[in-house]
Amino acid sequence: MKLALTINGAEQPMELLAPAPACRFRLGEGPELTADVRAPEPCVYSILLDGRSYDARVEETPEGLVVVIDGYRFEIQVRDPRRWNRKSAGGAREGRQAVAAPMPGKVIRVLVAAGDAVEAGQGLVVVEAMKMQNELRAAHAARVAAVSARAGATVAAGEVLVTLE
Amino acid sequence: MRRCGTELQPDAPRRRVCWYNSGCMFRKVLIANRGEIAVRIIRTLREMGIASVAVYSDADRTSLHVRMADEAVAVGPAPSAESYLRTDRILAAALDRGADAVHPGYGFLSENADFADACRDAGLAFIGPSPESIRKMGSKTAARLTAIAGGTPVVPGTDHSVTLEEARAFTAKHGYPILLKAVAGGGGKGMRRVDRDADLESAFRNASSEAARSFRNAEIYIERYVERPRHIEIQLFGDVHGNMIHLGERECSLQRRHQKVIEECPSPLLAEYPEMREAMGAAAIGAARAAGYYNAGTVEFLVDPQRRFYFLEMNTRLQVEHPVTELVTGLDMVRLQIEIAAGAPLPIRQEDVTWRGAAIEGRIYAEDPYHDFLPFPGTLTRLDRPMGPGVRVDGCVYDGWTVPMEYDPLLAKLAVWGASRDQAIQRMIRALREYDVGGIRTNIGFFRQILEDPALRAGRLHTGFIDEFFEHHHAPKPPADLEAVAALAASLHATSAVASNGRGETPAPTARASSWLTSGREGRLR
Repeated sequence: MKLALTINGAEQPMELLAPAPACRFRLGEGPELTADVRAPEPCVYSILLDGRSYDARVEETPEGLVVVIDGYRFEIQVRDPRRWNRKSAGGAREGRQAVAAPMPGKVIRVLVAAGDAVEAGQGLVVVEAMKMQNELRAAHAARVAAVSARAGATVAAGEVLVTLE
Repeated sequence: MRRCGTELQPDAPRRRVCWYNSGCMFRKVLIANRGEIAVRIIRTLREMGIASVAVYSDADRTSLHVRMADEAVAVGPAPSAESYLRTDRILAAALDRGADAVHPGYGFLSENADFADACRDAGLAFIGPSPESIRKMGSKTAARLTAIAGGTPVVPGTDHSVTLEEARAFTAKHGYPILLKAVAGGGGKGMRRVDRDADLESAFRNASSEAARSFRNAEIYIERYVERPRHIEIQLFGDVHGNMIHLGERECSLQRRHQKVIEECPSPLLAEYPEMREAMGAAAIGAARAAGYYNAGTVEFLVDPQRRFYFLEMNTRLQVEHPVTELVTGLDMVRLQIEIAAGAPLPIRQEDVTWRGAAIEGRIYAEDPYHDFLPFPGTLTRLDRPMGPGVRVDGCVYDGWTVPMEYDPLLAKLAVWGASRDQAIQRMIRALREYDVGGIRTNIGFFRQILEDPALRAGRLHTGFIDEFFEHHHAPKPPADLEAVAALAASLHATSAVASNGRGETPAPTARASSWLTSGREGRLR
């Protein structure tokens, strides 16, 4: 079975050649490997490869899978290339920069209005979560295209608060 | 008898012997707090045979302190101003449940003199110092004056809250950098470092508004910024009979956003210069005596590179990092607090205090250290705690628990003891490797990374250590062999979903054996 993986942003083909427990596979241009794989707990895979023991813990998130091994995080999207569509392949529009809430929280203050010119490092919005106020700043000089944040509003992580252009 | 703590005054003559062994211990204690510290207090209460009453906000109904306590009372909606800071509701809960005493924990009402007063007026013992001592030490500006009166050296600054104009005048005279600090503050909230005039106004407004939100007091004062200081604090215990001892120091120089994240006992500096422990211990006791202090308290000092120390503030409560002192001295500090509040004399003298080995604690937070330590609330999908020799976890989390976004993101404190500082650090790294929290981000991996740092291992610490660390370090790169293993795990996990629902959708977060695993198992069964 051939799969298209994106591992921490980099695309890598993956080929599963034989099923577990004696799982044969090839990642990218690497050699063919054989691993002993068991699932002792839900979402936990015990993998023996070249005599080394690994415990891989898999989390399912809206953005894909997160695999944690020995404290290291891998964000991995798995696609079956036969089903792949280009819907998600669009990039950010040139020049426009969306400033999004980095964590869930509450908008405390909106410091700019649509049409304002802002300088690099200038504060745009103050968001508070867990009693910690964070000022979101402009990465570079720009004009404020739109302000969707309202003071007092509760926002989710990733919600766009201000758009710069 | 009940209510024995309420009549205690440090200078009042004692008519009645009133402590644990004479049958005068509290029978029921309300904990006016949440999270790990409420759990910590419940544990000692249970060991002492005292019933515990938890309070909780709407966000905390299923939190561990509520589940562990003998009794629990709802005190309001999620925002702490409407629940954990509501003196009236908390006292009503204590009286309604028939509690004798209130333990305030840390944060919330713990350093609120009016709350301590209200407890006394309600006939409840407050497990902490007198309201008078809190007033002398609770406000940072008052504490400076008290320390000055006690002859303890302080950092140059204003002895009162300032307006923006007064702040400008201070900087015109003393220059930059300065620290803006909340008069009622603690834990770095409402605190800002300012390096130039251009930043003063916005920093002042942000600090003031954060202070108002956190402490219901927007007042700000100024201190000259001491470059590259260490933060070393002295743990004190006094009883109502006038005895006072110190339990040595804790080094808390490893901070992010001016908040401690790793603490240790002993301080590597004082281990090298033991005469400093005597000097700082004496200075701390002097300042505390000037406030007529009893129960647990901590005097915090800044220590500059020339090893001069300055009084920073006094925390008139139990500290978050108290476990490292407990591990090295062998004492249960919550038990001591309760006994003292019930009128008992200190069970040990200064010469009985011994320090054995070394302890180190890491505060496990729901946050992303590699993205500016931003808080990361969410639901825990997995939890494996470290175990084994010398490991202690003070936590409030369990598998499936949702970290509320209304409160401090502290999940647990991992503390370890070792025969030496090196052994304690090695043990800490080992324990962190066993610690697995899924579903949210934590600082566990960051702790492993920073504990390997040669300067940290050599004990060369200062409060800007973590900020400087990030100037030279990024998230550690995983060893090369892990990528293939991760890819394999993800592929096996995902293909089961592709096979089972046929659409390749993100599967629901439930346990699902990969079809590749299943077919392998079936193969073996045949």
